[in-house]
Amino acid sequence: MGEWALLATLFAPFLGVIVLLFVTNHHPLLVRTVAAVSAGMTLLASLYLFLVYDTDQGGFQFITRWVWSEELGIAFHIGVDGIGTPLVFASAILLFAGIFISWHIHDRAKEFYIFLLILAAATIGVFMSLDLFFLYFFYEMSVLPMYVLLGVWGSHTKGYLSMNDPEGRKRRDDVGFLLNFGANSKEYAAMKLTLFLSAGAVCALLGILLIYHFSPVKTFDILVLREVAAYDDTVATIIWLLVFFGFASIAPIWPLHSWSPVGHAAAPAATSMLHAGVLMKLGHFSIIRVAYEILPDATRELMPIAAVLCVFSIIYGGCVAYFARDTKYVIGYSSSSHMGYVFLGMAALDYISLTGAVIYMFAHALATGMLFAMAGWVYDQTHTRDIPSLGGLVTNMPFVTGAFVIACMASVGMPGTVNFIAEVMIIVGSWERYPFQVVVAVLGIVLTMAYLFKMMRGLFYGRLSPDHAQARDMTQWVDRMPLLVMIGCSIFFGIFPMHFYHIVRSTVVPMVDRIHQLAPLVTQYPT
Amino acid sequence: MTFQLPLSGSDLLLLAPEMFLTIWLCVVLAVDVTCKHMDHARLAYLSVGGIVATLLMLIGFEYTGVRGALLHDTFVLDGVALFFKIVIVVATALVLLSSIDYVQSFRLFRGEYYVLIMMSALGMMFMASAQDLLSVFVTLEFSTFGFYVLVAYLRDDQKSGEAGLKFFILGVFAAGLLAYGISLVYGETGTLIFSEMTATPGSYGLAIGFIMIFAALGFKIGVVPFHSWIPDTYQGAPTPVTAFLSIAPKGAAVAIILRMFYVALATFKPMWVLLFVTISIVSMTYGNIVAIAQKNIKRLLAYSGIAQIGNVMIGLAAGTKRGSDAMLFYLLTYLFANMGAFAVVIGVSNQIKSDEIEDYNGLNRRSPFLAAAMLLFLLSLAGVPPLAGFIGKLYIFVAAIEQELYLLLIVGLVNIVISMYYYLVVVKKMYINEPTDPTPLSVSAPLQAAIFVGIAGTLLLGLYPDPFIDWAVAATLMFSNVAAPATPVGG
Repeated sequence: MGEWALLATLFAPFLGVIVLLFVTNHHPLLVRTVAAVSAGMTLLASLYLFLVYDTDQGGFQFITRWVWSEELGIAFHIGVDGIGTPLVFASAILLFAGIFISWHIHDRAKEFYIFLLILAAATIGVFMSLDLFFLYFFYEMSVLPMYVLLGVWGSHTKGYLSMNDPEGRKRRDDVGFLLNFGANSKEYAAMKLTLFLSAGAVCALLGILLIYHFSPVKTFDILVLREVAAYDDTVATIIWLLVFFGFASIAPIWPLHSWSPVGHAAAPAATSMLHAGVLMKLGHFSIIRVAYEILPDATRELMPIAAVLCVFSIIYGGCVAYFARDTKYVIGYSSSSHMGYVFLGMAALDYISLTGAVIYMFAHALATGMLFAMAGWVYDQTHTRDIPSLGGLVTNMPFVTGAFVIACMASVGMPGTVNFIAEVMIIVGSWERYPFQVVVAVLGIVLTMAYLFKMMRGLFYGRLSPDHAQARDMTQWVDRMPLLVMIGCSIFFGIFPMHFYHIVRSTVVPMVDRIHQLAPLVTQYPT
Repeated sequence: MTFQLPLSGSDLLLLAPEMFLTIWLCVVLAVDVTCKHMDHARLAYLSVGGIVATLLMLIGFEYTGVRGALLHDTFVLDGVALFFKIVIVVATALVLLSSIDYVQSFRLFRGEYYVLIMMSALGMMFMASAQDLLSVFVTLEFSTFGFYVLVAYLRDDQKSGEAGLKFFILGVFAAGLLAYGISLVYGETGTLIFSEMTATPGSYGLAIGFIMIFAALGFKIGVVPFHSWIPDTYQGAPTPVTAFLSIAPKGAAVAIILRMFYVALATFKPMWVLLFVTISIVSMTYGNIVAIAQKNIKRLLAYSGIAQIGNVMIGLAAGTKRGSDAMLFYLLTYLFANMGAFAVVIGVSNQIKSDEIEDYNGLNRRSPFLAAAMLLFLLSLAGVPPLAGFIGKLYIFVAAIEQELYLLLIVGLVNIVISMYYYLVVVKKMYINEPTDPTPLSVSAPLQAAIFVGIAGTLLLGLYPDPFIDWAVAATLMFSNVAAPATPVGG
C-alpha cells in the first residue's frame, strides 16, 4: 500500500499533465479542476506516507525498484526516508496551495498548470530518488519549467530592485549583482535563473559521473554505492566539492545566491512559493542524499566550509532584505538568509541540529509559501511591490493582514509554530561545535524580525494611499483555503511535533553515527 | 584473372532493400512522367509507401538476424550497417512527409524532387554498408550527387543557388581529397579493404592518406574545421533538404568513420584518440558559441548541428566499444529531435514564408502545437531530461569518463550550459514575446504526422531507452574485440 501511495504521489501530477493536454483553454474551470484534483491526490497520498512511515524501523521505506537500463547500471529506484518524507509532504502542500493561489490566472491557464505540475512532480521525484541518475534526472527537470513560468507569467522587476538605506543613500547587492547586466526584466531573471541552476547541475553531474567511475560496482544506485564506495582522499574531496557546490547553488548558499532573489521577484506567486518553498531545498536534500550517504568521511572533513559560508548567508541576506524595497525581494532575501540556518544545522553534524535542519526546511517551506502567496495577492490588487508606495492596506484587507502577521510570526520562529521548534533545535544542536555561528544565527533572528516587521508595517499599517483604495481582501474560499491549510499545518506541527520529530530522527541518528564512525552503515538491500 | 560475380539467390536477399528502393524510385519516376496531371502529393505518398516498405524489410532483417557480406566483401550487411540504414530510412520517410506542403511552392520538377530524395537515401544506404575504400568513394559520390541538385532546387532563389554552388565546389574538393587519400593508402598498404589493413606498419603516407580521407568524411558530417559550407548551405537549401542534410549523411558518414578507425586503424588508436579529442572540443565550443549570434533559425540549427556532431565525436575520442554504442544511440536521439525541429521550421515557413527567429515571436499563441513541439525538440537537443537528448549525452559522457577524458568531459558539460542559452532564446521568442501578427497557424496532416513521430521518438528514447541502448550495444558487437581498451590518452 505504501509503495502505491509513493507512486501515486509522484505520478498524480504527471497524470494531471497528460489529462490537461487534452483540455483546451476554452474551459478554464475544467483546467483548474484537473490541476486541483491531481494536486489533491498527491497531497492525500503524501499525507498517507507521512502518517504510516514506520519510525521504529527507520531507513528507506516504500521502496520500488525497476531496472531501467542494465547496460548503464540505472534502476528506477524510489523510496523515502525520514528526510524525504516531510519534504515530499511539504512539496505536496505547496503544490496544492499554489494551484489555488493561481486560480485567477487567465492567460494560457492550461500551459501554466502544466508547467507548474511538472515543476512540482519533478521536485517530489528528487526527494524520492534512490538512484543518482534519477536524482539528477528530476533535478534538471525541475529547473526548466521555471524558465517558462517566470518568463510568461512573471512580472518585470522594474526599477525598485534598487535600495535606499535609512539615510537615503543608494545601495545595492553587490555580490548579488556580480553577474547582473543591469536588466530588470523577467526574461533576464528567468534566463539567469535557468543558466545558473543548469551550471550548478552540470557541476553536480560531473561529481555524479566521478562517483560512478570510481566506484567498484558500476551502478548509479545510492543504496549500493553507499555500501561499496571507497574513494581515496583526493578523489573524494574533488567529488565532494563538485557535489556540494553544484547542489548548494540552488540552496542558495552565499555567494552563489544572486539568481535567487531576482528569480523570486520576477516569478508569479505560485512559482515563487514552490521555488522558495521546495525547489531551494533540493540543494540541501541532494547534498544530504549524495554527500552524506556516499561520502561520509569527506563530509566530516569538509562540512566546515558550509559552516563558514552560512554566516555570510544569514547576515548578508538579512541585511539586504532590510534595505530592499520590493516585497518579493525582501522575502527572497529572507529565504536565502534562512537557508543559512539549514546549512548551519547540517554542518554541525549533530543529531539534534540535523533533525532541526530538516524540520526547518519543512517549516520554512510553509512560512515562506504564505508570505509569497500574500505578496502576490497584494501585487495583484495594487500592481506594485514597492513598499514605500504602499501602506494602510489593513482597512481593505483584514484577512490578508491577519494571515500575513501569522506568516511573519512563523518566519521569525514564534513559539507555537513549527519554525520555533526547528530554530531551537538548530541553535541547541550547533552550540557545542559552532558557538560563533549560533550567536550570528540568534542575531539573524533579530534581523529577521526587523525586516519582516518593517515590511508588515509598510504594507498594511500607516496611511492608505488613495491609489490603492480599490484593493480587495481575499473573500472567496479558493483564495483563503490555501492560506488556511498552510497556517494550519504550521501551527499543528508547532504544537504536536513529536511524530514529525520521530520520523526525521529515525533517519538522522544512523546517518550521524556513521559520519562520526560511531556505528557502521545500516545496510538495506533493495527489495 | 577472370571476373566472377559470386551472387546466389540467398545473397541477393541481403541486397533486397536497396534493390527494392531502386525499383521503387524508377516506378515513381515513371508514374510522374506518364501521369502528367496527377497531384504531386500522391507521388509523395507513393514514395513514402516505398520507404516504409524498405524500413519494414530492414526491421525484418534486424529481427531475423540476416547478416552477411557480398561482392568480395565490398558490400556488408552487419549490425552497424543495419542500424544506420534504419536511421537513414526513417529520416527519409520523415523528410518526405514534411516536404509535401513545401513542394507545393515549386513551379517545376515536383515529382523529380521525391525521386532525388530517394536516390540520395539509396546512396547513403550503400554508404552504411561500405567497408572498403573503393565502395566508400563510389557510394559517397552517389549520395552526394542527389544532394547537389536538391540543395539548388529553388531555381529563383539566389540563396539556394549560392548554397548549391558552395556545396558543389566544396563537395567536389572533398571528393578530390578522398580520391587522393585513397590512392595514398592503397600505395602504402596494397589493399582497399579495411579489415586487411590492420597489420600495416605506420608511415607518413598512411597518415596523410587517412587524414585526407577523414577530411572528406568530416566535410560530410560537418565537424570543425570542415564545417564552413554548413551555415550557408543550410540556410539556402529548401528546408526539407536541409533537414535531410542535417541527419542522414551524418549517419552514413559516421558508419564509415567507425569502420575506418575501429577496424582499419585500430592499432593506431592512441594517435587518433588525440585527434578526436581536439576535434570534438573545437566543434562543440565553436558551434555553440557561434550559434548564440544567429538570427535565422536554420543557421541556428546549422551551428547547433556542428556542436551536436562534436558531441558525437566524444564517443570516437573514447575509442571503445561503449563509445561506439553511445555514438549510435546519440545519433538516434539526434535524428528525432533534429528532424522534429526542422519539421516545425517547415511548418512555420510554409505559412509565414520566413525563417527569421524574430518571426517566431508569440508562436505559442498562434499555434500551441507547433510551439510545444519545438520546445520539446530544442530541449532535447539541449539535453534536458526526460527527453532523448539527455540520455544520449549522459551515455556518451559515461563512455568518456571510463577512458578518463576529463578535459573533454568538462568542455562537454560546459557546452550544455552554453547551448541551453540559445535554445532558450528561441523558447523565449515562442512563449514570452507577443506576436506581431496573431493569426493562428494551421499544420497540415502529413507534417503533423512527421512532428508526432518526432515527439514520440524524443519521449520514448528519453523515458524508456533500454531497448534502444541494447540495440546499439548489439549492433556494435563487431567492435568488441577490435577496439580493446588501450592506455588512456589525452584529457
